[in-house]
Amino acid sequence: MATSPKKKILVVDDEKDICIYLSRLFQENGFSVTCAANGDEALQAIEQDRPDLVTLDLSMPETTGVKFYRAIKSSPDLASIPVVFVTGVTGPGGPRDTEHFYSTRKQVPPPDGFVAKPIDPEEMLALAKKLTSGTRDKTATIGSIN
Amino acid sequence: MPDQTDQHLAAFNALDLSCSELFDEVPCWISIQDREFRVVKASRKLIEDFGEHRLQACYKAYKGRTEPCAECAVVHTFEDGKDHTSQEVLFDKRGLPHSVMVNTRALQNRAGEIVAVSKVFADISSEKELMNRLRDSLVRFHNLFDNAPCFITVQDRKFRIVEANRRFEEGFGDGLGTRCYETYKKRQDRCPKCPVAETFADGQVHTSEEFFVDDHARQVHVLVYTAPIRDATGEITSVMEMATDVTEIRTLQNKLANLGQLVGGIAHGAKNILEGLRGGVYIVNLGFRDNNQEDIRTGWDMVQRNVGRLSSVIMDMLHCARERSPRQLPVSLPDLLKEVLTLFAPRAAEFRIKLEAEADAAVEILGEPKDIHSLFSNLVTNAIEACNADQNDQKINRIVARVFQELDAAVIEVEDNGAGMDVATREALFKGIVSTKGNAGTGLGLLMSQKVVTEHGGSITVRSELGQGSVFTVRLPLRRQADFSSGEVQHGN
Repeated sequence: MATSPKKKILVVDDEKDICIYLSRLFQENGFSVTCAANGDEALQAIEQDRPDLVTLDLSMPETTGVKFYRAIKSSPDLASIPVVFVTGVTGPGGPRDTEHFYSTRKQVPPPDGFVAKPIDPEEMLALAKKLTSGTRDKTATIGSIN
Repeated sequence: MPDQTDQHLAAFNALDLSCSELFDEVPCWISIQDREFRVVKASRKLIEDFGEHRLQACYKAYKGRTEPCAECAVVHTFEDGKDHTSQEVLFDKRGLPHSVMVNTRALQNRAGEIVAVSKVFADISSEKELMNRLRDSLVRFHNLFDNAPCFITVQDRKFRIVEANRRFEEGFGDGLGTRCYETYKKRQDRCPKCPVAETFADGQVHTSEEFFVDDHARQVHVLVYTAPIRDATGEITSVMEMATDVTEIRTLQNKLANLGQLVGGIAHGAKNILEGLRGGVYIVNLGFRDNNQEDIRTGWDMVQRNVGRLSSVIMDMLHCARERSPRQLPVSLPDLLKEVLTLFAPRAAEFRIKLEAEADAAVEILGEPKDIHSLFSNLVTNAIEACNADQNDQKINRIVARVFQELDAAVIEVEDNGAGMDVATREALFKGIVSTKGNAGTGLGLLMSQKVVTEHGGSITVRSELGQGSVFTVRLPLRRQADFSSGEVQHGN
C-alpha cells in the first residue's frame, strides 16, 4: 500500500526558536514543514510550495502577518489554503495587529483557526490535522467569499 | 444764658417763614439750627421719626453725643454763608442708625445776617448698604482672582495683558503691558491658533491645550479657557484667559500610558521566550528519545538562548525599577568597547554583520561600570537586531562602535546600516514602548539605556532613516583631571 504524501505546513514567524519548535513538532507528527521569518519570505514560500496549511504569527516587523494574510486571501490561487493565526495577543482591545485585523475583517474572511501563545502543542496538532485531513472543501468555501 | 437764647429765637422768629405749613408737610427730615446747633424748628417727619428735640443741640438730639461733631456742615455754613454737605449717621427714636446725606443752607434776616441754618437729611442707608456690599464683592472678587490656583490674565485686542493675578506674577513676573505670547511663550509674534482671538471674534468660550515657558525656563503644560468681558453696551472690550497648570497630571498620564504599553510589551516578549524554552525542552526530549545528538544540541541551544533572553529582560526590569545613584568609579570607555565587541563578535559573525571599533586612546568617565557595560551592550544588541531586520539582501550590514572625546564630553556612538526607523518610531523611542525587533524585543533595553545615561548626567540622541540605518549617540561627562585621585580605572562587569 503506497503511503500518502506528507501534508505540507508553512510556519511563518519571525521568532527563530518558534519556527524551530513548530517545525520539529509538525515533522514529528508526520508533516513536512517550511519556515518563513517575515511576510515577504512567506509569500515566496507559499507560491513555491503550495502548502496545505499556514501557521501565521500576526506580529512581525516589515510585512506584518495581517498584510500577508490579506495578500493571500485576495489571490484566487492561494485563497483556499487554510490559515491558522498564532499570536501572543488575543482578543480585541489588545495591541494593534489583532485590533487591525478585527477592524478590517469585512474585507477578509476570518482565519480557519486561532492559536494563542504560549502554544498548546496538542491543540495545535489537533487543529493542523483537522484542517489538513480532508480535501480543501472548507477553505474553498472561504475562498469563494472573495 | 437765657438772654442769648432769647435773642436767637427772636431773630429766628423774625424770619419770613410764611411757608411754615409747607415746611411741616414735606415728607423729609428737615431741621433749622442756630449757632449753638440747637434745633429751633424741625419738620413733622423729623419729629415723627427722631422725636421732639426742640432747642436741643443736634449732636445730642440725633447722635447722642455730649460734644459737637469734629466736622460740621452747619458750622461751615455759618462761617461762609455757603451750602455744604456731609455724610453722617443719625439714630432715630428707636435707636436705629440711619446713614444720611446732609445739605445745609444759610437763613438770613432782612439785614442779610445769618441767623440760622437749614439742614436737610437724605436717608442713604440703602445706598450705603449697597455700597458696602459692592465693596465686599470687590474684595471677594480680588481675593478669588488673586488666589485662584491658575494663571489668570485679562487681555485687550492687541493681546496685551491689562490685568493679571498673583499666580501669574509668581510664574511670569510683572507682565502687565506685555503681549501674551511674549510673556507666556517667549515668542516675538502671535500664535497661529489663539483662543483669545477666537473669543474676540465670536464672543464664545474657547479652550486649548498649550505649553508656556515660565521665568525659570520651565515648560508648563496648561489647559486654557478664554471668556469675553463685555461693557454695558454688550461690546467685548477684553478677554479673560484662565490657564491651569496640568504638567504633573499629563506627565503622570503619559507615564501610566507608557507603563501600560511597556507591561504589554514585556508580557508579549515573555510569551515568546517561554515558547522558545518549551520548544527547546521538546526538541531535547526528542533527542534523548531517539538518541539524536543533533536534536539535543539544537534544543539545548534554544534553551540557553532563551534563558539568556529571560535573564536580560529581568535584569533590565530590575534596573528600570531601581532607585539609587550609581557609584562613581573610573571607567575606561575604550577598554569597555573592546570587551563588549569581543562579547558580541560571535553573534555578529553568525548573522554576517561586520562589527568595527574606533576608539580614542584615553576616554574615561566616572560611573557604575556594570551600568555602562549594560548600556553599551544594549546599543550593540539593538544595532545587530536592526541589521537583522534589514530586508535589503544586497547590502553588507555593518556596525561601527566609536568612543571619542568631544569638548568636555565622552562620546559613545553606535552606528548601523540596518533597517532604520521612521519618524514615528524615532519619536516614540525611550518611552519603553518601542521595539523594532518584532517579537524579539520588549522595548525595555532603550528605556534602561536612557535611565543609565540620565543617572550618569549624560544625554542620549538618535539619528535614523528608514532603510538607511541609525546612529545612537551617548554623551557622558568626561572624567576631569581633578577626579584622577579617585582610584583604579575599571571596566566591564
